[in-house]
Amino acid sequence: MRRSLLLALLVAANLHAAEVRVLAAASLTDVLQDIAKQYQKSAYDQIVFSFGASNLLARQIEAGAPADLFLSADERSMSRVKTIAKVNMLTNSLVVVVPADGHTMKTSRDLLKMKTIALAEPSSVPAGIYAREWLESQKLWTAIAPRVVPTDNVRSALAAVAAGNADAAIVYKTDAMVSKKVRVTYRATNGPRIVYPFALLKDAKQPQAARRFLNYLKGPSARAIFVRHGFDVLP
Amino acid sequence: MSSPDLQILGLTLRTAALATLLIVPPGLAVAWLLARKRWRGKSLVETFVALPLVMPPVATGLILLELFGRRGPIGSWLPFDVVFTWRAVVLAMMVMSFPLLVRAARVAFEEVDPRLERIAQTLGARDARVFFTITLPLAMRGILSGVLLAFARAIGEFGATILVAGNIPGRTMTLSLAIYNLVQLGRDADAFRLLGIAVVIAFLAVWTTEAFLRRRA
Amino acid sequence: MSVVLRDVVLPLAQFTIEVSMDLGARTTALYGPSGAGKTSVLELIAGLRTPLRGRIELHGRDVTDLPPRLRRVGYVPQDDALFPHMSVRQNVFYAARAPRPHVLDVLELTPLLDRNVKQLSGGERKRVALARALLSDPELLLLDEPLSGVDVALRDRVLEYLVRVREEFPVPAIYVTHQMAEVEAFCEEIVHVERGRVVARAALN
Repeated sequence: MRRSLLLALLVAANLHAAEVRVLAAASLTDVLQDIAKQYQKSAYDQIVFSFGASNLLARQIEAGAPADLFLSADERSMSRVKTIAKVNMLTNSLVVVVPADGHTMKTSRDLLKMKTIALAEPSSVPAGIYAREWLESQKLWTAIAPRVVPTDNVRSALAAVAAGNADAAIVYKTDAMVSKKVRVTYRATNGPRIVYPFALLKDAKQPQAARRFLNYLKGPSARAIFVRHGFDVLP
Repeated sequence: MSSPDLQILGLTLRTAALATLLIVPPGLAVAWLLARKRWRGKSLVETFVALPLVMPPVATGLILLELFGRRGPIGSWLPFDVVFTWRAVVLAMMVMSFPLLVRAARVAFEEVDPRLERIAQTLGARDARVFFTITLPLAMRGILSGVLLAFARAIGEFGATILVAGNIPGRTMTLSLAIYNLVQLGRDADAFRLLGIAVVIAFLAVWTTEAFLRRRA
Repeated sequence: MSVVLRDVVLPLAQFTIEVSMDLGARTTALYGPSGAGKTSVLELIAGLRTPLRGRIELHGRDVTDLPPRLRRVGYVPQDDALFPHMSVRQNVFYAARAPRPHVLDVLELTPLLDRNVKQLSGGERKRVALARALLSDPELLLLDEPLSGVDVALRDRVLEYLVRVREEFPVPAIYVTHQMAEVEAFCEEIVHVERGRVVARAALN
């Protein structure tokens, strides 16, 4: 009798369990996977992630790809999609990484020592746009541009340096923490203002389950995990 | 066509032509060996040559990235960079086109009546003379088709190229990569314009080769 | 001027060739029904096939391990095997070891020299194949059913050419055929072969 009751409860729970589709910026890959693991210890919902360059994800959402939450690395991508509840969640900063045995930089001009510099595509991917804004503010963009290797997203830029195929990359400080094969040689302290907006999408198929997860992301347990991965949480 | 378009087209045609030229001697050699000789391990060679045809192109690209990266077994002792340069474009094109050329050339060689080659031998011709005066001319039609196919494949190559050469404007951005890039950026109209150029190139390539082959026959 | 096969063995699909022969005449007929293995014997002599066992000697030299191009044998196969992508001139002069313009005259090929071989009649093709073999300055001629594939009405013409060649050029020849009439018209000796073995031998007058 008790066993069949348990079974009935489990079945009922699964009937209510939803699959929440989250499209998120590539730089959030590791931190979100950690948070989701925590979340799913106590929730029935399944969180399914799709990571990539925010501009590409926005385009997919525009084209009708099924999605419930969009966690973007810049406001520009977020403005392309229709949202219900939007909140500016995180901020980040840019760093220059090199292979473990690479050149050291003292000033930003030392970037000119590098033969190839990997960046996320500077005309469309948030990380690349931020990097270009920073380089322009340092009056380095024109000199650096011919040596730039544009990549699909910020993690590919990181991977290029980790493999030794590029001399340097401009990535988020949080990305640099992910790989042991690179080291940070410069921090862009006067970099552009980086804001990660998170939002529930208007065409979400699972709005209630999505809202539950979004609220969790705003909560204290998630905040601790964000901080541990190097993100700064906006108040 | 605008100037950046011309640059993309020029890069694509130059790299594809170089890649095709470079694979012809080894491709014909391998094709001839597969057509005419038998040896232990022959099926291993056949399988190996066919691999890039069967594997997903990105998988091939990944292998090339590992081998020719600055720290890779081959890349580390080369005196120049391969990854993220035009050399990677040519390399990817060569690897992806090679099996197509070998396949077509092998069939062409197999269709040459071996009796004709043997008669030439009784007439005193050495192996090299037999190859250049009998085998090659009689196989030329099939070989040219194979070269055209290889060239077309090189022009259209994408999966391996984007991994090992990156999509660097002016350096490695070929026609296929440029179309992909424009689509990514949402610039569909520009993408379709480049698509039109790609179609015209493909059409011209097939047309001229067919005309050439018709005249030879 | 001799061809010697000593205990030569060659397995074929239907039977195994096992022959020994010592040929010394100017023209020897290799006579037998179709499928007797006559062509294979010619191929063994020319070096286009390797025997399983045995020795082959040409004019006293052991050629068993020699490749075809070193054997100085002129082989005219049954289907002519003319090079289809070349003109008559290019075919005929392919080997051209020693100039023998005489060959062109005897076989009346001069007017045909610039034609493509695909445009030739059966009889003309035979003459071209013959000229090509002769111009490689062979020490032995192998003729595989030279009159097959030629219109019956024209066979006498081709036979005439063969006779002329035999008169003008002192090269010993082996003539494969299954027609006794040709043997009698052309050859001094006959070797009768059936199912890969020599069953009889005779001199003709």
